[in-house]
Amino acid sequence: MVNNKKKSGLSPASKIKNSLLYIVMNTILMVFSLSCIFPLVWMFYSSLKEKREFNADIMGLPKSPSFSNYKAIITNKDYRIFESVINSLRTTLISVILIVIFGFIVGYILSRLKFWGNRLLNLIFLMGLLIPIHSLLVPIYTVFLNTNLNNKWFTLIIPYVAFGLPIAIFLVQGFVKGIPIELEEAAAIDGSSFSRTLFGIIMPICKPILSTVAIVQVFSCWNEFSFALVLMKDRRLWTVPLAMTQFTGQFSSDYTKIMAAMLLTMLPIVVFYFAFSKQIIKGMVAGAVKG
Amino acid sequence: MLQSIRPKNRVIFAYLVIPVVLYVFSVFVPLMTAGYFSFFEWKGGPNKTFIGLENYVALMKDTIFWRSFSHNIYLVIACIIGQVGIAFVFVMMLSSNLVKLKGIHRTFGFFPSTVAAVSIGFIWTMVYDYKRGILNWVLKLIGKEDIIKVWLNESALVMLLVSIPLIWQFIGYYMVILLSATSSIDKEIIESSQIDGANGFQRAVHIVLPLIKNTLLVCITLCIAGNMKVFDHIYVMTSGGPGYDSMVMALYGYTVSFGQQNMGYGSAISLGIFVISLTVIGGGQLLVTLLSKERGEKA
Repeated sequence: MVNNKKKSGLSPASKIKNSLLYIVMNTILMVFSLSCIFPLVWMFYSSLKEKREFNADIMGLPKSPSFSNYKAIITNKDYRIFESVINSLRTTLISVILIVIFGFIVGYILSRLKFWGNRLLNLIFLMGLLIPIHSLLVPIYTVFLNTNLNNKWFTLIIPYVAFGLPIAIFLVQGFVKGIPIELEEAAAIDGSSFSRTLFGIIMPICKPILSTVAIVQVFSCWNEFSFALVLMKDRRLWTVPLAMTQFTGQFSSDYTKIMAAMLLTMLPIVVFYFAFSKQIIKGMVAGAVKG
Repeated sequence: MLQSIRPKNRVIFAYLVIPVVLYVFSVFVPLMTAGYFSFFEWKGGPNKTFIGLENYVALMKDTIFWRSFSHNIYLVIACIIGQVGIAFVFVMMLSSNLVKLKGIHRTFGFFPSTVAAVSIGFIWTMVYDYKRGILNWVLKLIGKEDIIKVWLNESALVMLLVSIPLIWQFIGYYMVILLSATSSIDKEIIESSQIDGANGFQRAVHIVLPLIKNTLLVCITLCIAGNMKVFDHIYVMTSGGPGYDSMVMALYGYTVSFGQQNMGYGSAISLGIFVISLTVIGGGQLLVTLLSKERGEKA
C-alpha cells in the first residue's frame, strides 16, 4: 500500500522496504493495465494467423502473417459486417444528436419556466433515473410489434433516445441552475426571441455538459445489445453487437475469423477512445458521479 | 424568471411534445401493456386467454426465477467487493509517488469499460475455452494439466467464472471515479498525517476512506443498478447455463418470452423484475442517502 514517508536520508531497512513496495505495487498495476489491453493485442496478432496455426499454438506470434481472415470476413456478404457497422454508426449518431438536443431543450425548460405540468414532467423524468429499464425488454417488444415499429431502420433510435433522456435532462438542469438568469433577461431586452436565446446564447454556454452527455451516450448506444436483440429480427438491420452473436453457433471453432470480425467492428470505437481518452474519461466520470 | 421573456404556452408545448411522447411511449406504455398481458395466457399467437392472477402465482412459486434473482444479488455483492474494493486499493497505490506510468494505468484500465459487453463476453469465452482457451493454456504451461476442464460447464464454478469478466471490465471505471475524488483531497491533510507518522494503510483507512465516502457510496449504487440489469455478458458466455446455474433475471424473462414463446408469463416476469429491481435499487439508494447524511458535512 501507500508508503512514501520520507524522501531522503533513508535508513537501509526502509530503503529495502521501499524498493520492495516499488516492485510489488508497480507489478500489480502493470499486470492489471496489461490485462486490459492484452486482449486487443492478442486478438490482433492471432487474427493474422491461419486457423490451423492458431489451434496448434494459441499464444505464439504468427509465423507468416496474412490478412486472409479479414478478406474472408469482408468479401463474404453473409456476415454483413460492414452493414452492421453502418447501422451502428447511423443509430448511434442520430440517437446521440437527438438526446443532446431534446435533453437540452427539456432540461432548460423544466428548470427555467413555470407552466402547468412542469412538476409532473419533472417527476416522470426523474423516475426514469430509477426505473429498471431492463425490465422493459419483453414489454417493449410487444408494444413495438403491435404498433408495427419493430424491424425498421429507425426502430432502435426510439428507445435509445427515451432511455438517454432522463440522465441528459438531469445533467442539463443542474448546469442551467448555475447560469445567471440576468443573461436571458438582457437578451430579451435586446429583442432576442425565446428560441434565439435558447439556441444562440444558452446552448453554447451548456457545451461542457452537453459534450459529457454526448460522450456517455455514444458508448451506451454503440454497445447496447439487449433491446437490439429483441427489436431487430431483420439481419440487414443488425447493429454491431448483434452481428457478433452470429459467430457463437455458426463457426464457434473458427476463432481467428471471429477475432478479425471483432476487431473490424471494434475499430471505430477503439480509435475514438484512444484519440480522445482524456476527454472521454473526464466526461464519463462527470456523467456517472452527477447522475 | 421575467414574465416578459416567458414564451407562450404553445411554444413550450411545441418544444416538449416530441421528447415527452417518445419517452412515455418507450417507458410507460410498455409497462402498462405488460401489466395488461400479464393477466393472460398468451403464447405469442393471436389467441389470449384471461387467467387472472395465475401468472403471478406461478411467478411466486417459480424457483428458477428466484434462483436467477439470487444470482443477481451474488453479482451485486461480488462486484461491490471486487470492483469498488480493488479499485480503492489501486487508487491508494496510484497515490503513492513510488508508482510510475500513472497516465497509462488510467487510459488502459478504463478501456475495457468502453467495450461492448458482448465483446467482453466473447473474449472471456476464449479465455475459458477448453481446447484453445488461455486459462487451460496457462495451466498446461505450469504443469497442472489435471485440473483442465470445460470451465463454463462446471455448475459449481460458473457464477464465479462469469463474475470475473464483469468485475475486471469495470475496475478501471471505478478506479478513475475514485481517483477524481481523491485528487480533490487537501494535500495538507495527507502531509500532516505523514508527519504524525501514519503509515500507508492507516492513511488509507482513517483519512482517505472517510473523505471519499460519498463517492464510494455513489460507486456502490452504480454497482447495484448495473448488476440488477446484467444480461449481455451472460447471454454470450453461457446463456444462463449449464441448466439454470448462471441464469439472471433479465435473461430469464427473455428466455421464457422468446425461447418458450410464453409472452403472458414473460410479461408477468417483467413486472416482477421491475418491482424487485426497483426495491433493491431504491433500497440501496435510501441506505446510501442515510449513510452519507450521517457525516454529510465532512465529505
